[in-house]
Amino acid sequence: MKVTVKLIGPLIYEGGFSERTLELPGPVTAGELSVLVKIDKKRPTIITRNGRAVVAGDQLADGDRVVISHIYSGG
Amino acid sequence: MKGWTGNILRVNLTDKTWKKESFTEEFAKKWVGGRGFAAKILFDELKPGIDPLGPENKLVVALGPIAGIPAPNTGKVVVAAKSPLTGFYGDGNLGSNVSSQLRKAGYDAMIIEGKADKPTYLNIEDDKVEFLPADEMWGKGTYFSNEWIYKKHGKNAGVLNIGQAGENKVLFAVIRSLEGRAGGRPGIGAVMGSKLLKAIVVKGTKQIPQADPELMRKLGIDGLKKARELDQKSGWSKQSTNAVLAWCNEVNGLPVQNMRKTSHPEAHKIDGERLDAARIATYGCPSCTMHCGITIHDKEGRESELDYENIGMLGPNINVFDLKQVGSLNYLCDDYGLDTISAGAVLGFYGDAIEHGAAKGDFKFGDAEKGKTLLWDIATRKGETGNLLADGALKAAKVYGKNSADYAMQVKGLEMAAYNCKSIPGQALAFGVAAIGGHHREAWIITFELKHSKRESYGPEKAAKVIELQRIRGGLFEMLVACRFPWVEVGYELENYPKFFNAVTGLDWTLENFWVAADRAYSMIKLHYLREFPNATRKDDYPPAVWFDKANADTEGPQKGVVLEYDKYDSLLQHYYDARGYDSRGIPTLETLKKLGLEAEAAAAAKVAALN
Repeated sequence: MKVTVKLIGPLIYEGGFSERTLELPGPVTAGELSVLVKIDKKRPTIITRNGRAVVAGDQLADGDRVVISHIYSGG
Repeated sequence: MKGWTGNILRVNLTDKTWKKESFTEEFAKKWVGGRGFAAKILFDELKPGIDPLGPENKLVVALGPIAGIPAPNTGKVVVAAKSPLTGFYGDGNLGSNVSSQLRKAGYDAMIIEGKADKPTYLNIEDDKVEFLPADEMWGKGTYFSNEWIYKKHGKNAGVLNIGQAGENKVLFAVIRSLEGRAGGRPGIGAVMGSKLLKAIVVKGTKQIPQADPELMRKLGIDGLKKARELDQKSGWSKQSTNAVLAWCNEVNGLPVQNMRKTSHPEAHKIDGERLDAARIATYGCPSCTMHCGITIHDKEGRESELDYENIGMLGPNINVFDLKQVGSLNYLCDDYGLDTISAGAVLGFYGDAIEHGAAKGDFKFGDAEKGKTLLWDIATRKGETGNLLADGALKAAKVYGKNSADYAMQVKGLEMAAYNCKSIPGQALAFGVAAIGGHHREAWIITFELKHSKRESYGPEKAAKVIELQRIRGGLFEMLVACRFPWVEVGYELENYPKFFNAVTGLDWTLENFWVAADRAYSMIKLHYLREFPNATRKDDYPPAVWFDKANADTEGPQKGVVLEYDKYDSLLQHYYDARGYDSRGIPTLETLKKLGLEAEAAAAAKVAALN
């Protein structure tokens, strides 16, 4: 299945890309995808799928847009 | 008394006098400093109903017990007065060498009263105060006047100054420092201008009193090292605050076209990656561990210092997606001494009012060049439009009529920062109940809402989160007068701040003590509000009507059709009031005021409005 991943802020430098469409061999969760794109597990992040927040265990579906961001606090 | 100098400098511009006044340890422990000092002093010294731009208003510059001492991000100053924009207490903070210099001169605060008879600047050196002519700076921008002062008084001097906007009493004129820092969004720069005061220059040579200077030195050095490490580890400084722009665009929280829309396909052109790529330098405040100001060359080749709020409001909010043009608009605001958030909101409002037939003019969304002209017109109150927009979005809306106040994006007259909350109820509440009007400084809970609650929830957990952050951001940091970024952005532990405070004061405070002091300061500001607006109602804590208007909902995407709901927002507001101990108007009850030791202030407020 294909998933588009968008990384925000410092995660771009951690993951090595800003936005990328990935071909995945099978079903993955949001948390597994975060590990796959090399985001430090210790870093507090917020993951959204198609604009809605998800938890690490939520399954992704073909065509999803997933955004992984550092936790921001509005300056 | 240790930690505080125990002194306030009172300067009278009318008769060119000054005196050193002392305050008690009881006062210090009750009000801590910064916002606490300013709110109390102005409540005691200003009569309700005075003209904010008249000589009877007072400008307070206030510091806290750790201000100016080397430790993470302690180089800040609070400036406050009765706001000409909102009509009640207003304040702001900015990075400045005034923080350390005023403390070294022997003062924790400065009260400036009266009005000079001609353009003047103050030169304060320890116990000496000079009233000097500002003719060479008057009419000039902040970059010129700051440089002029540096040449005359040296680069180590603490400087606060205003641009043409402050001189012309634009109601959202700010005070500037360090050629890149600004504070006092609710027109505190206009108050300075109304006094014909162009600048304040401060130099001090004394020691800041500390209970245990050796301990504080160690804590401060360790803290600076740790906070820098955390910043580097997190990578925050790569994009600074502007990383949030891409995220807001993804989660439908970006201010686009006067907050009519929540995302835009061209947002990537002005996001954190683009800002980092265009970076020519990075700036911060004194003692800063994580510089938030990224400078780029603007359209005209000038160096413009950007962060998220000014990009958000001068970019997507007026449909400008050219980073260099955003840089130009920001540069002009900074030079003229206009608040960038309000300037973006006012331009957005004007564009919207034209589109909706309420206003006339040739400004269109996306027209950066016309925006530049309008900023000058506003800063100099040139022409009918410039003069009207200089009074802020709400006052302009009252003149335009045709329901345009519904889309003047402000709360209590203060324009809101760069978060579009028509489908984000908790942050809408945070704007609604911010102490001085629609400010983001005190509580920002959007990631909490999405990750730890439900976006569509109007539950008490969101009210509780707003209060928790108000106590920390609007209380602890505004009273100690330190930047919140090391804690809020990269996780420098909050528990360090009582340690700093105890090392300098010799007291034994915990964070709980600060929460009480914070609640006291918030209640104090609410009493300011009640005294100025005796008919205050809970509607004053509502965000603009357009966020509740189904016709303004997103027409596509995950938030399609979603707007705030009146009944639910009102119940969320009630959760906040209940947890705060406020009455149904949003005013602290007598019981709450008594608990906070504000009986005398309650009695003073009760002379003009009833308390419950």
